[in-house]
Amino acid sequence: MNALLDIRDLTLDLPNGTRLLHGISLRIASGETVGLVGESGSGKSLTARAVLGLLPDRATVGGAVAVNGRSPLAGATERQEIRRHEAAMVFQDPRAGINPMRTIGDHVTEGLRLCEGWAKDDARTRAVELLSAVRLPAPADHLSQHPHELSGGMLQRVMIAGALSTSPGLLVCDEPTTALDVTTQAEIIQVLRDLCEQSGMGMLFITHDLNLAGSLCDRLVVMKDGAIVEEGAARDVLVAPTAEYTRRLVAATPRISGEISPPTAVSGAEAQLIVTGVGKTYRRRGAEPVSAVIDADLVVPRGGALAVVGESGSGKSTLARMIVGLEEPDAGAITIGGRSMAGIPRSRAERLERAKSVQMVFQDPYLSLDPRIPVGRAIEDVLRLHGGRTGNDAAERVRELITAVGLGEEHLTARPRTLSGGQRQRVAIARALAVEPELLVMDEATSALDVSVQAQVLDLVARIRREQGLTLLFISHDLAVVRRVCAETIVMRRGEIVEAGATERLLSDPQHEYTRLLIDSVPVPIT
Amino acid sequence: MTSSTPTLAMRVLRAPRGRRPRFLYLASVVVLGAVVLAAIFAPFVAPYDPDAVDFTSFLAPPSAAHWLGTDSLGRDLLSRLIYGGRTALIGPLLVVLFSTVLGILLGLWAGWRGGWIDAALSRIFDVLFAFPSLLIAIMAVALFGKGLVAPVIAMSIAYAPFVARLTRSLVMAERSRPYVSAYRVQGFGGGWIASRRVLPNVTPIVGAQSTLNFGYVLAELAGLSFLGLGVQAPTADWGAMINEAQSGVAAGQFLPAIAPAVAVVLVVVCVNIIGEELSDRIGGGNPS
Repeated sequence: MNALLDIRDLTLDLPNGTRLLHGISLRIASGETVGLVGESGSGKSLTARAVLGLLPDRATVGGAVAVNGRSPLAGATERQEIRRHEAAMVFQDPRAGINPMRTIGDHVTEGLRLCEGWAKDDARTRAVELLSAVRLPAPADHLSQHPHELSGGMLQRVMIAGALSTSPGLLVCDEPTTALDVTTQAEIIQVLRDLCEQSGMGMLFITHDLNLAGSLCDRLVVMKDGAIVEEGAARDVLVAPTAEYTRRLVAATPRISGEISPPTAVSGAEAQLIVTGVGKTYRRRGAEPVSAVIDADLVVPRGGALAVVGESGSGKSTLARMIVGLEEPDAGAITIGGRSMAGIPRSRAERLERAKSVQMVFQDPYLSLDPRIPVGRAIEDVLRLHGGRTGNDAAERVRELITAVGLGEEHLTARPRTLSGGQRQRVAIARALAVEPELLVMDEATSALDVSVQAQVLDLVARIRREQGLTLLFISHDLAVVRRVCAETIVMRRGEIVEAGATERLLSDPQHEYTRLLIDSVPVPIT
Repeated sequence: MTSSTPTLAMRVLRAPRGRRPRFLYLASVVVLGAVVLAAIFAPFVAPYDPDAVDFTSFLAPPSAAHWLGTDSLGRDLLSRLIYGGRTALIGPLLVVLFSTVLGILLGLWAGWRGGWIDAALSRIFDVLFAFPSLLIAIMAVALFGKGLVAPVIAMSIAYAPFVARLTRSLVMAERSRPYVSAYRVQGFGGGWIASRRVLPNVTPIVGAQSTLNFGYVLAELAGLSFLGLGVQAPTADWGAMINEAQSGVAAGQFLPAIAPAVAVVLVVVCVNIIGEELSDRIGGGNPS
């Protein structure tokens, strides 16, 4: 087999002696799509970057990498030849990967003009072809636009077009759709699939999402802690994983279909949260007013769990922020536990009452904990504020809470910096529970976590709900996760609730076209 | 939208590059420490009383009796240099303290409350920026008389806007962070969050930047003394010493002028190196 990419025993050591890659071997034939999957810290991005010689300074590299016979490790000239003619890379965040000061035309044509010496007009013509190949709506007009005028999904297409401009034999994609909405992701994946089929290009596709890798790739390579634990045909790896780690990963990955122990719906209980006719419009000087939430109605019974699903800009986070009292609604009423809670609480009594009735777990555990405050102290502060527990009593309760979320006493003195994402999110949950709220709002609380950690956090939430009868409002973009947690779901688009109902019914028999689009966009492995 | 956790590749690529040699920083700490200690313990360190006049030697070159020689009035130069360090260091120290406290309070207020308070304070800062701090100090001297007190108060006010502007921008960035929202949801009041949680998070960065002001203030206060508007004779002060040594320069004796000038430059350079190292250490670290 004539390999397009041949990585043999690739190792990477830092000057401090840490070995990040432990002998990676990987082959890609032309026209083949290989998925490199693994959780954060597995070294998948480092491996992919090695293909183009994008390695950390001062790192010691061992083994061999060959792209169409050339080695990116053999010096600057070879590396440049590879980057110019053999391989191209698409990065995760298109907004960070494209120069914001230059036009889309500049971005797509500069490779052709500088590397291949094309004339300006020829390069322009080619750029229009490339932009239409990635299915941008108005290729000729986009050439003179700047990145800020395009959406994230459109920019990622531009990045792909730019990568393809010099007709590389190999395309390396590093989480190219992770920062995008699921419907946009589906479109980008379709573009990549078609391009590979048409041009016979090989692709190395890095992702943390097993379902996505399974829906796109011919072969999968699973990495953990800088080593390959399993590789094989995509179907085999997903259906009959041999490595223990892959089995756990597959089990932890939420799916949109298949057997699941459905969350039980609560019936007949009184309403814990009632939202009626709530709306929020942002008005900024010199800009069109934006309606973030329009006339939202929802009811969550005591002990129930309702999911709010939508893409970015759907207003789901604004809705959550109004419910917890971080934003002032323009219209409508919010009732929690029978008490009317409209607006931002002003007085101390109002603030405490609001906090007692509703708590929130935020999306990014890296930002939602105060970096300076140790875990134990953060929880103690909350206890002292509510109910004035002090001294041993408070310390006892802090230990209870931290054990309840699966952390140990040794974590009490730790600062957030030293904790992993999953541990931080557990701390955030413990802190929210310390107030003993009636309602817990989780705003994309697991989307920044690895799948195995996400599964653990979801299990934790399920256990707490069982034990304490907590009511849950679960905000997510991920239908597969929602299905595991909530019996009831509402779907939001551009501030409006377009569909509401039992989650399983919604998934099996969607009524609104947007719900159908969302469901169709979720990647499903070919089996 | 999913937000990505910092991946291994990102962490490795963002790791700090090889640090520049620590030698300069350590040397600065040693030199500045020596100067500060000498100033504090001047009565024990200085060989002579700074005001004592040796009638046998005027403008004497360095000798065993007078290591740096004497000035035009026959006073021991080394002793005056050591005592002069007291006034030269205490002025900037007070200015840095006062301006930092004032600037942090105003900056926190403007950044946290926003709206018209922020707008009003920011305009006031803009007006203060328009005046050179030395000019404000000279005006204060004209109004309240010569000495150290009036210039120190004037310079504290002149330097406060620099601190305030930095604090304001840091507080505004902090205010929009999710951890502040989390505190609000838990029921904590705005005043508590701002003063007990946000303030300590921005103080190290502001403090490190403020140490850089020390050098500028020292140079400016020395300039004021040189002009005869700051510390008054016969008190020893580096700026005033350079002024007094002018007649010696005409007579071909450079040391009485150069020694205090070198002292000023040495301390300013040391403070700046230390301040930059502190800012790098604090600002360079990842906040989370």
